[in-house]
Amino acid sequence: MYDWLLFLHLIAAFLLAVTVVVYSAVALGAAAPGRTLFVADRCWDVGGLGTLLLGIWLALYLDEYDFFDGWIIGAIVLWFVATGLGQSLQRRTPAGESAQVAAMHWLRTLVVLGLLVLMIWKPGA
Amino acid sequence: MSVLAAIRPDDWNIALFVHVAGAMALFGSLVLVATALAGSDLRLGYRALLIGAIPSWIVMRVGAQWIASKEHVDDIDPAPAWVGIGYGTSEGSFLLLIIATVCAGVAARRVRGGGLRTTTLVLVGISLVAYVVAIWAMATKPS
Repeated sequence: MYDWLLFLHLIAAFLLAVTVVVYSAVALGAAAPGRTLFVADRCWDVGGLGTLLLGIWLALYLDEYDFFDGWIIGAIVLWFVATGLGQSLQRRTPAGESAQVAAMHWLRTLVVLGLLVLMIWKPGA
Repeated sequence: MSVLAAIRPDDWNIALFVHVAGAMALFGSLVLVATALAGSDLRLGYRALLIGAIPSWIVMRVGAQWIASKEHVDDIDPAPAWVGIGYGTSEGSFLLLIIATVCAGVAARRVRGGGLRTTTLVLVGISLVAYVVAIWAMATKPS
């Protein structure tokens, strides 16, 4: 059970990486087709929901971790920040606000990297 | 075993971070390649392979060797299955990535990509499936 939860949690995290890479290409000046942005946005939706739900499930499933551990609370806060930035990006990208889109994208990328750091170092666990 | 593996010595973390970050960038780059080629954007597909996928593969592979040396998994005889799956998929897929990059590069110089575009898409698709298997192996660590 734990193995499959972790596998699906990782797959969800890799879907978030798809979005980060695609929007990085856009922020660096690539003219990504609409289909590519559509896939990236759906990966963000599915990956975001998957990482949160499966992450909470993992935290509740394992005796080693407590839901109120600092690193888990920190990850949930970062998840909400990243989700807010992602929703804003999805609204602004079609409007062609390229400067704001790039700035928000790089901020979201830093937040996602912060999430990865928390997942690996697990400070306080 | 997996639960024990979730809590590891602190000095392993930076190697694991490099490995996972490289793998995530590699996976994301390949999905970008696939969607770009499916939309007939050969130039974006080629550049994503050359600038995104191949450097990410190198970061992922360096991170893999680094964490393997810290965990001393290469000293285990016989090597655990998940280690073999990891090495097999990463090294096999690198050959596919090189061929896909050459195909995409040639296709991008032509007006119509034709068979080379399809070949690149198939190679990238095979690599993506292999990486999902590798993620499964890293998560479940079958012996």
